[in-house]
Amino acid sequence: MTASKLNILPVPTFSRLGVNYVSRDTEGFETSRSTSDITEDRTVTFYADDSSLPVGEVTLNVGKGVKLKLVQVFDRSAPYVSKLNVTLDESAELELVQLYIGGSDTVSEIVTELAGARSKVSTVIGCALDGDNKLDINLIARHRGRKSESVIDVSSVLKGQSVKTFKGTIDFINGSSGAKGSEHEDALLLDNRVRNRTVPVILCEEENVEGSHGATIGRLDERHIFYLRSRGTSEEKIYELMSRSKLMKAVGRIGDEAVKARVYKALGWGDTDE
Amino acid sequence: MKQKTQVEDIDRSFYDFRYDEDAQDFFDSGITPDIIRGISEEKNDPDWMREFRLRSLEIYSRMPMVKWGASIEGLDVDNIVAYIRPKSRMNTDWDSVPDNIKETFERLGIPQAERESLAGVGAQYDSELVYHNVRKEVAQSGVVYTDLESAMHDERYAGIIKDHFMKLVPPSDHKFAALHGAVWSGGSFVYVPKNVHLEVPLQSYFRLNAKGAGQFEHTLIILEENSSLHFIEGCSAPKYYEAGLHAGCVELYVGEGASLRYSTIENWSKNMYNLNTKRAIVQKNGRIEWVSGSFGSHVSYLYPMSILNGEGASAEFTGITFAGEGQDLDTGAKIVHNAPNTSSYMNTKSISKSGGKSTFRSAVTVSEKAAGSKSSVNCESLMLDNISRSDTVPVIDVRTDKCDIGHEAKIGRISDEAIFYLTSRGLSEEDARAMIVRGFADNVSKELPLEYAVEMNNLIGLEMHGSVG
Amino acid sequence: MSEILKIENLAVSAEDKELLHGVNLTVGEGETHVLMGPNGAGKSTLGSTVMGSPEYRITAGSIIFGGEDITAETADKRARRGIFLSFQNPVEIPGISLSEFLRNALEQQTGKRIKLFEHKKNLAAAMSVLGMDSSYADRDLNVGFSGGEKKKAEILQLLMLKPRLAILDETDSGLDVDAVRTVSKGIEEYRRSAGGTLLIITHNAKILEELTVDKTHIISGGRLVREGSGQLAFDVLADGFEKYIGEE
Repeated sequence: MTASKLNILPVPTFSRLGVNYVSRDTEGFETSRSTSDITEDRTVTFYADDSSLPVGEVTLNVGKGVKLKLVQVFDRSAPYVSKLNVTLDESAELELVQLYIGGSDTVSEIVTELAGARSKVSTVIGCALDGDNKLDINLIARHRGRKSESVIDVSSVLKGQSVKTFKGTIDFINGSSGAKGSEHEDALLLDNRVRNRTVPVILCEEENVEGSHGATIGRLDERHIFYLRSRGTSEEKIYELMSRSKLMKAVGRIGDEAVKARVYKALGWGDTDE
Repeated sequence: MKQKTQVEDIDRSFYDFRYDEDAQDFFDSGITPDIIRGISEEKNDPDWMREFRLRSLEIYSRMPMVKWGASIEGLDVDNIVAYIRPKSRMNTDWDSVPDNIKETFERLGIPQAERESLAGVGAQYDSELVYHNVRKEVAQSGVVYTDLESAMHDERYAGIIKDHFMKLVPPSDHKFAALHGAVWSGGSFVYVPKNVHLEVPLQSYFRLNAKGAGQFEHTLIILEENSSLHFIEGCSAPKYYEAGLHAGCVELYVGEGASLRYSTIENWSKNMYNLNTKRAIVQKNGRIEWVSGSFGSHVSYLYPMSILNGEGASAEFTGITFAGEGQDLDTGAKIVHNAPNTSSYMNTKSISKSGGKSTFRSAVTVSEKAAGSKSSVNCESLMLDNISRSDTVPVIDVRTDKCDIGHEAKIGRISDEAIFYLTSRGLSEEDARAMIVRGFADNVSKELPLEYAVEMNNLIGLEMHGSVG
Repeated sequence: MSEILKIENLAVSAEDKELLHGVNLTVGEGETHVLMGPNGAGKSTLGSTVMGSPEYRITAGSIIFGGEDITAETADKRARRGIFLSFQNPVEIPGISLSEFLRNALEQQTGKRIKLFEHKKNLAAAMSVLGMDSSYADRDLNVGFSGGEKKKAEILQLLMLKPRLAILDETDSGLDVDAVRTVSKGIEEYRRSAGGTLLIITHNAKILEELTVDKTHIISGGRLVREGSGQLAFDVLADGFEKYIGEE
């Protein structure tokens, strides 16, 4: 048995928090690998379920001025390791939409190399966890190109005794003058047994950049509850509505109607028309 | 392209004066059980303390070297002189302090500060406290402020010290905590009885004068129910070619409803390794406030920890770190919410300049027991040029749903618009930059007593302008 | 009347795009001039360039102030000579109070120490002219000020710094009628107490009502297209730009 370190935090911190890496024994796991050069504007949708191989590695090179929209839905109950590497050339754009629905043990790493000048990455991630679900995400936006931009927006709803770690790193390499990176995480915790870890890292060796991150974690804002109550909504319905509104940020970006319908079903939301 | 203001390195000559040591005062370099026994004998330790030191040394030899962001490769612990006996015993009368030591502290403004605004002062020179004084009315209220060695031999406090010493920071915590347990020397013991409120601050000042020496002072503060105290700690050392080590330890016990403010302005010379451990435990409705300014040292590891252990306890951490040329300052704070309805607030600023590296780390942990807790973390970093580095590594670990946790961080530089706006009103670009940095550091300076705020502003001015006043 | 400001054949670029193409404009000492033009015509560019904004690069021509060529001078030197620009979007400076900032700026400009007591007295007097609450003196410079409060704080600085030439860049925009009245009052007070020269960039007749306008300049597409009397400003405001720009 050889466990390998996955999802390594670019700068290690206090080891007692257990966020520096995860160990998983993936030896002998069947892996699906794909590498593509994206040379024209495209939308790619990917749906991982229990029929998928347990390890998925995707490497993409997005060419000069090309726009790629990548939608990844992780709706698999068995353990899963996902690795996504995207390199962006000058003025290339990536819109990444990821949705994590359940999963007994999902480890997902996203590395975006903003290599070209004015390259852009916008990432919207939604996580719906319940029961014993376990999820560890390690996202790195590495700014090398001048005036490159990254936006990371993560929304999670945690129930049961689910455990989630989100590590998001914005890395401004010297030379990425004029780059901007922002990251926001919003985690709604709905059970006393959940565990949510957030590690929003900014690394900076370039003066002329703007970086920011923000996080709000915990229960619903009481003003929201009061407002909705005052309009006659029951407490149970309020939680349902708010969970849905948080996940809708990612779900709403799924263009493919068939995929969307499948996601609605997986989330137990009923029809897409509702 | 706009011209960058040339900002020179700080002129430290003010802090760099020093006196020659006599060779016979040194213990051998390196640390062996014999050296520890020697220190113990010299200090006339009680048996339990001698055993504690030897046990700590064992742990120290067993533990791996700390591997962290900032490199401590330049540090040769075996070559750090652990204990330097000063030429004088503890004094409570300033006039009987030896002249060279007295002059050192007078140049640093210690006795003046006491005369003007402090309730008590302790001054440590190398390993031992050389001066200690508490105002009569303060002593009469039952407040104890003395050195730890004397207190250990005083039957009124011996038990308290045995019960609290390195209980919050055990030697097994990390390698330098173990080293501290083995060779600690000097520091302060403060005891504030129930319902006593000290209106004026107590101050201690640490000065590391000898070459290649380590300072391992221990500060133990105990606040009983509903009492309050402001304790100020200042540190400095002159510059030598051999690296110095500071591995102090601060343990703060804040009782029910008590309130403690612990302020530090650290300005060690820029080849010091400042590997300090500070920790507070706060009981029901108690409050700890940290105010921390890190300006000096070559490498710093400093993350004061607040354990909120009683319902309604609160912690506030306000800090600034200024990393200039050749400095790698790894600072931050840890907060553990371990009881219901606890709250914490963290507000930190860091500045990187002339190739300096600053790393901000935080860990906010909210346990299952901390329902109804709130925490807000706010950190801002400022890059003053393109050869420096600034990293922000916060962790938030939440294990209850009934909490409100907010976190915000920003990194950037001084905008060209801000410079233009200020210069359009007549300020030179250099002054405009200095003014913005001073404003940036305002979160800390406004929390400090006036004379310390002035000293901090001077330090910033020195860093920004490269010359005194 | 002697010339205080003389702009000769000024060409200005920002990010490789030329914004002003050879502008000539002269303002006499003690006069009040109005600079008008459609959005994007180059009004703010001209104002900022006279103040010495590093955002704009002068590619040709010169700026003469009080008989001296200041084309290459930095903004702080120009400020010390007595040029003032009220910003459309004043920058927020956390940690530095309005009062502290003004005292510092005054000391920089005069080269003299200013006693705190005296400074506070003068500041209070100026604030009362503008009906500003005295608590603003101790608030951080522009931080959390509303749009109107920021504009007032700019006029307050005008009153305190008493420059020889004040360029007011749409100081009245986005303000309600009462606030415009307050700003006008501040400008009058500046004229009365400092006898200074004004170059006003505006879209609004209200702010001009109480002033005697000596000259109007109309700028369009980075060129001065028309000059006229004070009355021209009111005509333009009544009839719109097209009529006047078209006549070139």
